Amino acid sequence: MSTRHSAESARPLDASMTLLNEVYRRPLDPGYAQAAARRAENPSHRTVRSGTGLLVLAVVLGLLVTTATLSLRRPAGSVVAARHLLEQQIVQRGDEAAELQGRVETLSAEIARMQDELLREEEPGLGAQLASDAVASGAVPVTGPGLRVVLTDGPTDDPDVLDSPSRVRDSDLQVLVNGLWAAGAEAVSVNGERITSMTAIRSAGDAVLVDLVALASPYTVDAIGDAPGMQTRLAQASAGQYLATLRNSYDIGVKMSSEHSLSLAGTGQTTFYYATVPPEHAPKVSPTPSATDDDGRATGSAPTGGGMAGSAGRSGRDGT
Amino acid sequence: MIAVIGLVVGVVAGLLLQPTVPVELQPYLPIAVVAALDALFGGLRAMLDGIFDDRVFLTSFLSNVVVAALIVFLGDQLGVGTQLSTAVVVVLGIRIFSNAASIRRHLFKA
Repeated sequence: MSTRHSAESARPLDASMTLLNEVYRRPLDPGYAQAAARRAENPSHRTVRSGTGLLVLAVVLGLLVTTATLSLRRPAGSVVAARHLLEQQIVQRGDEAAELQGRVETLSAEIARMQDELLREEEPGLGAQLASDAVASGAVPVTGPGLRVVLTDGPTDDPDVLDSPSRVRDSDLQVLVNGLWAAGAEAVSVNGERITSMTAIRSAGDAVLVDLVALASPYTVDAIGDAPGMQTRLAQASAGQYLATLRNSYDIGVKMSSEHSLSLAGTGQTTFYYATVPPEHAPKVSPTPSATDDDGRATGSAPTGGGMAGSAGRSGRDGT
Repeated sequence: MIAVIGLVVGVVAGLLLQPTVPVELQPYLPIAVVAALDALFGGLRAMLDGIFDDRVFLTSFLSNVVVAALIVFLGDQLGVGTQLSTAVVVVLGIRIFSNAASIRRHLFKA
């Protein structure tokens, strides 16, 4: 440092830029000049020991820098490999889930068939009630005429913007599904995911989750019921206005069409771990007159229907 | 010349042995390499200026790498690691550029 100050004879004009000048004008370590000056004074003062020390230091430094460079180049490969592995795992787990879902569907169909066989002989009334309950709870696949509403993300200038207002959000789907239930839908599914008493529509990060399955635009909401009637009631209700706002203000595509035949998948039997039916409402197993039987089943099935409405209602409140 | 020979031996050894760096040291590697580059260019320029010195070259090399790593370490501890890394890269980058310009003048006389 002292040599630098002695070297600068006069105060430079651009004194306020000393840092930049120092870096730019004198990039060479001043030590080189000093060493050169020392050597000029007494030419031979290097010993063998210091030479060996320098050699060792040089080897170590070379080794270090090479190691650093090599390991900086290596992670790129490992990151790619890790990514590839994750992709593989995602695909593999997805396939497993699909396979298991298929198994659930087959087994559910078998259970339904066996129940049906058993009940048809012994208690025809109970069998019919069970079938309608299964439809209402979403356990079995159903088909029928209905209404199809397709929501599509609006066009965005920048596809990287995650929270664009013209994206379809979970609350939009909640309002639509609620509106459809209110308009008299008997079964509803979103992109093939059946809405049951235990289905939540919510968002996780950027994705809309329906029953824990991440969905992407376009969102196809199928509702089985009286299509013209549902369309009218939906338009009259607040959900209809909401959809109109989505279409007009946010450029979200809203397409409604009446379908002659919609097929909605079933979710299979739901296993309850905590919920039990209180003894006084338990369905009577012993042979009884069909009127009482129907009564018992009706109260037993009430929680299912009520739960479904409650679920849809709750989702709606979440959104608002 | 001892320093150059030593460095070459070290580089060859590193390429042959391919040692692994502990994970804790990984964040300091990029800055350390930039600092090493700065020392290398400085040494090359000094050689062309005719004032090259093994001792100065190696000590500047070592201190550059250590100080750069220390700055990044300090920055990480203070939560400004990225900014400090940027500062170090800017300063070293300017030095490398002007040294390279000086080397170019030496070699091509232009």
